[in-house]
Amino acid sequence: MYRRIKKVLGGDILKKRGKGIGVTFYGTGYGNGFPDVSRAYARLLEDGKVEILVGATEVGQGAKTVMVQIASETLNIPIEDVILVNEDTSKAPDAGTAAASRQTYNSGNAVKIACENLKDNILQEAKKILNVNSKIGLVCEKGSVYVKTYPSKKVSFKEIANINNNLKGEGVFIAHTTQMDENGQGAPYWPYTFAACAVEVEVDTETGEVTILRAKLVLDVGKAVNPTLVEGQIDGGFAMGVGYALMEDVGLKDGKMLNSSFEKYIIPTSLDIPNIEKVLIEYPEDTAPYGAKGIGEPVLLPVAPAILNAIYDAIGVRFYEIPVTCEKILLQLNKG
Amino acid sequence: MFEFIGKNIKRIDAKDKVEGKAIYPQDIYIEGMLYGFTVRSKFPHAFIKVDVSEAEKVDGVVKVFTYKDVPGKNHHGVVLKDHEVFISKKVKRIGDPIAFVVAKSKEIAEYAASLVKVEYDILPAVFDPEEAMRENSPKVHDKDNVFYHFKIRKGDVEKAFKECDVIVENVYKVPMVDHAFLQPEAGVSYIDEDGKIVVIASTQYPHFDQEEIAQALGVSKDLVKVLTPAVGGAFGGREDITLQIHLAIAAFTLKRPVKAVYSREESFIAHSKRHAMKMYYKTGATKDGKLLALEAKIIGDSGAYASWSMNVLRKAAVHATGPYVVENVKIDSFAVYTNNPFTGAMRGFGATQVPIAYEQQMDILARKLGLSPIEIRLKNCFKEGSETATGQILEKVALEKCIEELKRF
Repeated sequence: MYRRIKKVLGGDILKKRGKGIGVTFYGTGYGNGFPDVSRAYARLLEDGKVEILVGATEVGQGAKTVMVQIASETLNIPIEDVILVNEDTSKAPDAGTAAASRQTYNSGNAVKIACENLKDNILQEAKKILNVNSKIGLVCEKGSVYVKTYPSKKVSFKEIANINNNLKGEGVFIAHTTQMDENGQGAPYWPYTFAACAVEVEVDTETGEVTILRAKLVLDVGKAVNPTLVEGQIDGGFAMGVGYALMEDVGLKDGKMLNSSFEKYIIPTSLDIPNIEKVLIEYPEDTAPYGAKGIGEPVLLPVAPAILNAIYDAIGVRFYEIPVTCEKILLQLNKG
Repeated sequence: MFEFIGKNIKRIDAKDKVEGKAIYPQDIYIEGMLYGFTVRSKFPHAFIKVDVSEAEKVDGVVKVFTYKDVPGKNHHGVVLKDHEVFISKKVKRIGDPIAFVVAKSKEIAEYAASLVKVEYDILPAVFDPEEAMRENSPKVHDKDNVFYHFKIRKGDVEKAFKECDVIVENVYKVPMVDHAFLQPEAGVSYIDEDGKIVVIASTQYPHFDQEEIAQALGVSKDLVKVLTPAVGGAFGGREDITLQIHLAIAAFTLKRPVKAVYSREESFIAHSKRHAMKMYYKTGATKDGKLLALEAKIIGDSGAYASWSMNVLRKAAVHATGPYVVENVKIDSFAVYTNNPFTGAMRGFGATQVPIAYEQQMDILARKLGLSPIEIRLKNCFKEGSETATGQILEKVALEKCIEELKRF
């Protein structure tokens, strides 16, 4: 990373360092009693693979991968045996919006329920085919069903599909929230996700430039379905927080945006982002699929306040208005 | 133990995206398709008269659509239907869509758009939400500009502030910001072999777009099919309709495929922004650092349309205390119309703005009380069984552990 050599002039250090933290929470979903519904269907295909239909949009957050992992886990089949259909409203059922950090929690639950129902139907069919007296004792593994205590009695998903080509499962999940009353009392969101961030900054008192030297982000994830994807969200959320604290403003003047292109609307680049130490705290949420909570928004929230608190620690100036641009810092420092 | 959960499975969409094979709406080409370009208002508040006759004379222009050409309802909106598909009488912000020029090429459409005559009868406008809250301010929607007021009342703040040893009072301001997703809006619409109106667009919620498109076309939902190919980021900025309905109306009317691609500048103008907020905060604690009372007034600039403002200002209020137990709370949040760009969903949805205030309040209090930032937070943070400002009892709270981790930084 490019970093200027520390200048020392007449004994005064022109770059000052400071640390700051931010701690936040975020309530998942539409909230306040609104019907927050996700639907999914699972279907056994002729070749023994499983089709998952769910209208959850992949906007880059990793929804496709997460839905497939949840389906694979529930049915105990390889990732490549799950065929996801999520991009066509005439095929995939409504799974709500890809927002409010709700897809992993809500639609993940719907996919899990759909797969559990399909699994139940598959076991029912396998019971008949294997001619055993109960589903209890049957195990689903890698696309086959077998008797746990007598594994050679076994039938594959493909063989099952060839005998019954109408095995399906439906999953509907409605997140529970309780509408608030006229005093704002109620249980408006569930679950809540917590995050904490620490940063160390360096403020150049000659130019007003703020450099983030290092950072740590601690995230309560319930359970990380895919830790690499969570870490990716942290990187992206952190960058968005840096932009919010230090750079971004559409610049309104009489209703007109003065900064409406990337020529003037400055966002961080990878060079503005330090290496972030990431800590995932796993405390599985009971109502979540395999305990996994939504994290897409929570990763962003503590970043900007941590930076503002670090700037204060560095130069003793409190900024009540963002973004804290170089100009604003210089103006405050020159006030003496 | 899990087989697949908790494993770093390679993103299933990664290979196509890395190799450039993923299809974004920009990439779609259909033989014989037309191109659309949107005419937008240049003034923030004005009555308009539109004349498209010169534009329609241009060689290569197929049709110029205005509000008169909307087959169904000339409106859309995620909560209130306060957006018009095309403005019929009054523009309320710079960038309001007035007409959609459809031509044989993008260049022709863009040129013809410059010939659409819009006569503006300028009205007084309002840009500051607090000014907009006044009775005598210009009215954006011909009614009170304050269209949402949410309250939280818990305990007795007046009495509690008297018992506080330290009180910190500040006003915080956050601006409108953009989602700045990588892929500007683009879409294609056509009628498929089953007679369905297909709209391919980057969206966050295809099933909702389907409903809004059907309403504007005046057809049943089953006749509309929304396809979402690869989406280059969203962050809330693809919650509201931008070009989906314009494209659908054009394809439905002309029975030909129509495509539109926004430039970065048009993207900025077309979609929502994060709410600018002004946050008045008063936080009080006892000398041992226990938070006792919090009073906040949060004013959100909704701009010209409601979008998700009610929900955003509600979420801001619910999260206004931060993740801390405060027994006495008085919070008022307001959503206010102005003639600014409209604001809506953006990552955090109201819960992003308030930490700028509550987390700085915590540090200011800590300093006054001689506590470290970590100490004051550990003292007050939600724990198993804690009650929030809305009276909700929390369980499965891993917050203390998160804060403890910061000690090792």
